[in-house]
Amino acid sequence: MSLARRNLFQDKTRLLLSIGGVALAVMLILILKGFLSGVNRQITSYLDRSPGSIVVAEEDVVNLLGTTSLLPDGVAQKSESIRGVDEAIPILSQFIILDLHEKKQPAYMIGYDPKQGGGPWELSAGREPRSKREIVFDRVLADRHDLKLGDEVEVLGKDFTIVGLSNGTTSWMTSYFFIRKQDAEKLLLNPGATSFLLLTTSDGANQDDILRRLNNLSGVNALTKRQMAANDLKLFAKVFSAPLKLMVGIAFLVGTMIVGLIIYTATVERQREYGVIKAIGGKNRFLYQVVLTQALFASLAGALLGVLLANSAAQWIMSARPQFLIVFDPADGGQALLAGLGMALIASIFPTRVVANLAPAEVFRK
Amino acid sequence: MIRLALRNLFQNKIRLVISVGGVALALLLILALDAVFTGVERRITAYIDYSGADIWVSQADVRNMHMASSSLPDSVARRVKYVPGVASVTPILYLTNNVVVGDERNLAYIIGLPENAELGGPWSISSGRNLPGEGEAIINRNVAEKSGIALGDEVEILGEEFEVIGLSEGTASLVNSVAFISMKDFEELRGSYDTVSFLLVKVNDGESPEAVAARIQAQVRDVTVQTRNGFAAQERQVVKDMSTDVITIMNLIGFLIGLAVMALTVYTSTLSRRREYGMLKALGARNINLYLTVLAQAILSVILGFLFGLAITLLMTMVVPIFGSNLTLEVSRISLLKVGSVSLVIAALSAMIPIRQIAGLDPAMVFRGR
Repeated sequence: MSLARRNLFQDKTRLLLSIGGVALAVMLILILKGFLSGVNRQITSYLDRSPGSIVVAEEDVVNLLGTTSLLPDGVAQKSESIRGVDEAIPILSQFIILDLHEKKQPAYMIGYDPKQGGGPWELSAGREPRSKREIVFDRVLADRHDLKLGDEVEVLGKDFTIVGLSNGTTSWMTSYFFIRKQDAEKLLLNPGATSFLLLTTSDGANQDDILRRLNNLSGVNALTKRQMAANDLKLFAKVFSAPLKLMVGIAFLVGTMIVGLIIYTATVERQREYGVIKAIGGKNRFLYQVVLTQALFASLAGALLGVLLANSAAQWIMSARPQFLIVFDPADGGQALLAGLGMALIASIFPTRVVANLAPAEVFRK
Repeated sequence: MIRLALRNLFQNKIRLVISVGGVALALLLILALDAVFTGVERRITAYIDYSGADIWVSQADVRNMHMASSSLPDSVARRVKYVPGVASVTPILYLTNNVVVGDERNLAYIIGLPENAELGGPWSISSGRNLPGEGEAIINRNVAEKSGIALGDEVEILGEEFEVIGLSEGTASLVNSVAFISMKDFEELRGSYDTVSFLLVKVNDGESPEAVAARIQAQVRDVTVQTRNGFAAQERQVVKDMSTDVITIMNLIGFLIGLAVMALTVYTSTLSRRREYGMLKALGARNINLYLTVLAQAILSVILGFLFGLAITLLMTMVVPIFGSNLTLEVSRISLLKVGSVSLVIAALSAMIPIRQIAGLDPAMVFRGR
């Protein structure tokens, strides 16, 4: 133990650089994971906060985001006539690419009836749209583009006045904005169109029975909001998981390389000492322990520092770029330490081979 | 100086491999992320690029296809056709939906093509036919293979069963694929009888697409007219604007990791050569020469790391698609230039600690046996 500690601490600059390198790699892994968790939370924000527990979509549509839904006429009335359904709240929604200050900003438009609900769930300023061409804009997106209440935003060639700013409606990919349903119908040149119905049910109503009856209606697909949120998560996970896994894999390898380099160098430098230990009867196992202890210390110290760095970096990123939400799971710390452990074990392979192949007589020949 | 740097670098092969590998991986973080986004950028415009259209006409102020919807009255096609310079007009219907096979759902641009469509159909067919009739669909080959679908099998699109009569190539990206059905089926399933989504326009030989686009824009009301290249550029801009912040953050982390690895390598290597540097100093070598040696060593390592990182990235661009992923990686010149510059900055900064070490080195140390 003391030999391992002496080897490590003899050169503090080298130790600090190696711990720093591992910490950065672990930080990257944690930030990437936290970023994905944040995106997941942002993706389902509308479904999490909008009224109702059941969503009625066009037949074959199982997502809120990503696909276009257009309900057949009269579905709202038919849905409301089903026993246990209190209210069917219609929304007309569509991804729109806004051009804000020469930048393309994908945004998800929700056309809703303010009297029925389905609009913003928290306003930081202003009010909901009451009349023609009024819009509730996402607060973070508004801040990024220096837009305030009373300013105008162009949506599909029509100017809308910002009358409200909403909270919790942003993500790095897309933000929500809300207008009256009639305005959305005009923008999409589709009078009377409805994309989804948000259904509220009475207390004690049998949800499975309601879903079954709804799915008997022609041209619709009814599912719980929770199921739809899970489908949206699955859809976006498909897009993000491959690049994310790639980046996490590279970060892990970088961390391993760094620990490997430091332990290898420390081992080679102490080759003579290890030779002496072997010559006086020290067993290989003891030397392996020395090497592994060094690797474990550098990796775990790096992993711990990485956890701290990741938290600070996440705070900094979220304050500098509020559209990013980075969420850490309590289990992430443990996973970081496991990653550190993995790095230590892999990084010890080369140095232990050096020690294993060391001839005890070597020390006397030099 | 360069020879000494080379000797320092190559004397210990394992250290060289670890340090070059470490830098390569750190640079790979930057290169791979750039390549992912460049790949997405290129693939996202594949349908537009290969549509065969010189000009795209959409609903007023709709400048994108991805994450957008466009609706034009039927009558617009006739008006566009009479604009001088227009050779042909192909209307298409479009929306984003799923190609469903059992429990598997694959997000896709669903394109409704008119009978004998001149433009807008699949541009490369690996098997089967290239235009769908009623009740027929053409889907991407990768999607078909992943779902175990062959020609003649059925898939569900917009809630209806379609027989797969063609498999197309190059129509899948990380985000979605493209599926083609007949316009008639599309109209019936969506009830969109009097509208189309986009008009694909071919101009007469010798006409400039820009001039004809300007003419259409001037003569037809409530439409947005863009040349193919202009439309594709708008699509790429969406990806670019969405990814800028993510790329900046990841680049910064990649840069810091690269810097840590490189600093560690150059520092370790200089430290192990301390006696030699002391000897050189004792023999009259000037500090500046020793600094340049360390710097040359750092630059050489970084160049090797850069080349190695680039080789891995290029290898990944070939290997990743083989595993059936729709993730396409492409290395752009801008990315190479950026990573090349970052590498040089890393080399210069990483040489600073060892240079300070050398500056403080006492030439007499070597005689004291330290």
